[in-house]
Amino acid sequence: MSLVRKLAFRNLFHDRLRLVATVIGIVFSIVLVTVQMGLYLGFGRMVTTMIDHAQADLWIMPKGTKCFEDPSLLDERKRFRAKAIDGVAEASSVVIGFADWRTPGGSSTPVFVVGSDLKAGGLHPWNLVEGQLTALSIPNAVAVDQSYFERLGVAGIGSTAEIRQQKVRVAAITDGIRSFTTTPYVFTTAARARQYAGIPEGKATYFLVRLSERADPQETRRRLLANIDEIEVLTSAEFRDRSRSFWLFDTGAGAALFAGAVLGIIVGTVIVAQTLYSSTKDHLGEFATLRAIGSSARYIYEVIIWQALISAVIGFCLAALIGGLIVKLTEGGALPIMMTPLMTFGLFALTVAMCVFSAIAAIVKVMRVDPAIVFSR
Amino acid sequence: MKEPVLEAIDVVKLLGSGAAEVQALKGVSLAVGAGELALLMGPSGSGKTTLLSILGCMLTPTGGTVRVGGLDTRGQEPEQLAELRRRHIGFVFQSYHLFPTLNATDNVQLVLDVRGEYGRKAARRAQDALAMVGLAHKLKSYPSQLSGGEQQRVAIARAIVGDAPAILADEPTAALDSENGHAIMTILSDIASDGARGVLVVTHDPRLVPFADRIVRIEDGRIVGEERGPARRKTKANA
Repeated sequence: MSLVRKLAFRNLFHDRLRLVATVIGIVFSIVLVTVQMGLYLGFGRMVTTMIDHAQADLWIMPKGTKCFEDPSLLDERKRFRAKAIDGVAEASSVVIGFADWRTPGGSSTPVFVVGSDLKAGGLHPWNLVEGQLTALSIPNAVAVDQSYFERLGVAGIGSTAEIRQQKVRVAAITDGIRSFTTTPYVFTTAARARQYAGIPEGKATYFLVRLSERADPQETRRRLLANIDEIEVLTSAEFRDRSRSFWLFDTGAGAALFAGAVLGIIVGTVIVAQTLYSSTKDHLGEFATLRAIGSSARYIYEVIIWQALISAVIGFCLAALIGGLIVKLTEGGALPIMMTPLMTFGLFALTVAMCVFSAIAAIVKVMRVDPAIVFSR
Repeated sequence: MKEPVLEAIDVVKLLGSGAAEVQALKGVSLAVGAGELALLMGPSGSGKTTLLSILGCMLTPTGGTVRVGGLDTRGQEPEQLAELRRRHIGFVFQSYHLFPTLNATDNVQLVLDVRGEYGRKAARRAQDALAMVGLAHKLKSYPSQLSGGEQQRVAIARAIVGDAPAILADEPTAALDSENGHAIMTILSDIASDGARGVLVVTHDPRLVPFADRIVRIEDGRIVGEERGPARRKTKANA
């Protein structure tokens, strides 16, 4: 094995204080990027959680709908027209809207009501930990998530409250259905959701379409658009992309997360570049000796690049540990920081790229070294 | 003299520019043959180090010709000059220039490493070179664990391990006491005696004269004298 790696390793570990500074720079940078990108992923997933859990091949929605939470309305008559289209097996209504939840104690909190027809496939609460879905058919029944008990002033099944002066009773409890807006979701039937959200009879927010066997989604969409006016028809994947794009980019939230990540990369690059440069400067005599004894420029660059790579691996391992801990700590929070294998690999590639890029300044310095200085030192 | 391993013909070197320009070498010609130890002597500022840098392919002459192993260095790119250095020239520096983070074997092996020769065979060659300079017992020692004389021996082992035909030594005894200086010069003299290598030692120390086959005197950028050294005469006398 060539001495390149040994030399790089020894150069790094020779000055431990500088190595610590380098590693701190990398760790700081990569943890910052991890948090920002993890928030981006977590946010991206949370804004589509309702779409992910809906049983729909196609979504019919009012024209110009920006995201799932957009409260525009469709006429129920369009649902019947949709059901008559060839290829449509089922079209069920989903009603959403904001409402005011009044606790027995008299305080109030905004909630996001999600109602769908219990008999048809639609958008029903999932992760039920207590109660049954069928219990929602009982008058005034709602399902809420246990993480919002305190906010909603309830203690479990049987607890009561009021929405729009109408009594509600908790009949089912979910776990982990959290809203990125921090407004609790309240699941109920479509009819009651209209009452709670003040939506007129005969209106709905979405129609969820299930296709019949062997029906072509594109062809069915074309037929729906040709027969029903003022609507848009999206697949779940398309609606997911649209919602994500709205929340992440149209609101500027994604840009802020990206800006934080870019800042992390810049800070990390500057710190690593600075420490590598100063390390190279300190070892300039050795690099000049290498050049004097006939080493190629490439050999010297390899030493510096290996220094950068070793720093990258050490820094990344520590950053990944800290990142993993942060992911674990935020797991049950309102906005969990997510980490996927692809993101982990991407972060490693980013760390390596950042460190190698940082080596450029050091390489430029070494390129200018005059081997003849070995005679004067 | 056998075929020169290093040769400078009418070498001129200008240093600086404009009003600060100085002619460091004013048409210097010098050849070092295999099997000889030549001393290049002169006062400070005489051009010794400039000539050594040019012969060592680290500095390009302004005029004249330099041949290393018979190859003309004119017009060579920096990478080609580096190639010439690693194939043809071994260096011994006044301040040793060993790598403090590498042990003696690795320091010597580095010369082979930059040639792309590594592994057990290279390590064995490095250890053999260290044994030749009397450091077989210090193979794993780091420079900080070695005396000045021992460090210079490691540097000599590094210069000879690649079988370079020319050894350039810049004030190799300047940082050593007379006993260690004598030991170092004995080693360099032995290297020259094997007949395969030529050694050029730059010095202003007259105590090195007894080791020389030839003494070249330089002053103010010019060769001002050349004489046969006592070493060759000693050899003949001994014979």
